[in-house]
Amino acid sequence: MSKECPKGRHGKKSNHDMINLMDNVDQNDDLRYNRRAFIKSAVGASMALGLSTVPFSVRAMIGIAEPDHDRVEIIDLARLPEGEAFTFNYPTENDPALLVHTVKGELVAYNSACTHLMCPVFYQKEKDILLCPCHKGYFDVSNGQPVAGPPQRELPLIEIEVENGKVYAVGRQYRHG
Amino acid sequence: MGKKVCWGVIIFTIAINVVMLQWTIEAYLGREYEQTLLYSGVGIVMAFVAFLAYGHLRKIEYSSEKKS
Repeated sequence: MSKECPKGRHGKKSNHDMINLMDNVDQNDDLRYNRRAFIKSAVGASMALGLSTVPFSVRAMIGIAEPDHDRVEIIDLARLPEGEAFTFNYPTENDPALLVHTVKGELVAYNSACTHLMCPVFYQKEKDILLCPCHKGYFDVSNGQPVAGPPQRELPLIEIEVENGKVYAVGRQYRHG
Repeated sequence: MGKKVCWGVIIFTIAINVVMLQWTIEAYLGREYEQTLLYSGVGIVMAFVAFLAYGHLRKIEYSSEKKS
């Protein structure tokens, strides 16, 4: 026996006014989108957010276990007069870095990949500042902090030592200053 | 602990976990591994708290349904 009402009054296609008033009520939606479904989704979201931090902590534990950076010779200090910069790689061959002998006579070194979009950073001795030419990002040469343009984070600082007229890279700091 | 408290706890854990995820990523990218572990730990604890609050809420709701 058909469930359809012979007069069509209970069907969705009915033109009857009092039946069309009920068009917005759908039992399936009531069962699917209700208060309990909402709280289930909320709990699921909270757990997903909390557990999505786990891969980062696993990687962090691996990072803690890694050995410290090596001590690497960069250049003879005599070959780097004031106002000049020297490009090298530290701590790996894939990490370009810049050793700067500033016009004020300071020796500083940073990883030279801009913290905005990884373009190489150059030293401008006229303004005594580090410049990323891709998007005009400027970094303070004395501390590596961004001073203008799109970069928001400081350049990683490479710790250096001068011994017997030679400059050595001995470590790296990501957050500093 | 009533129903409203359970709701509040669950919403609170969502807010905390959003912040913890952001801080964890930021600390990880900044190679601050100790802080990464701290924020991640807080996120995991909050996820557990949300689950417990949900379990408690279900218990209250179904037991009150049986009574009525």
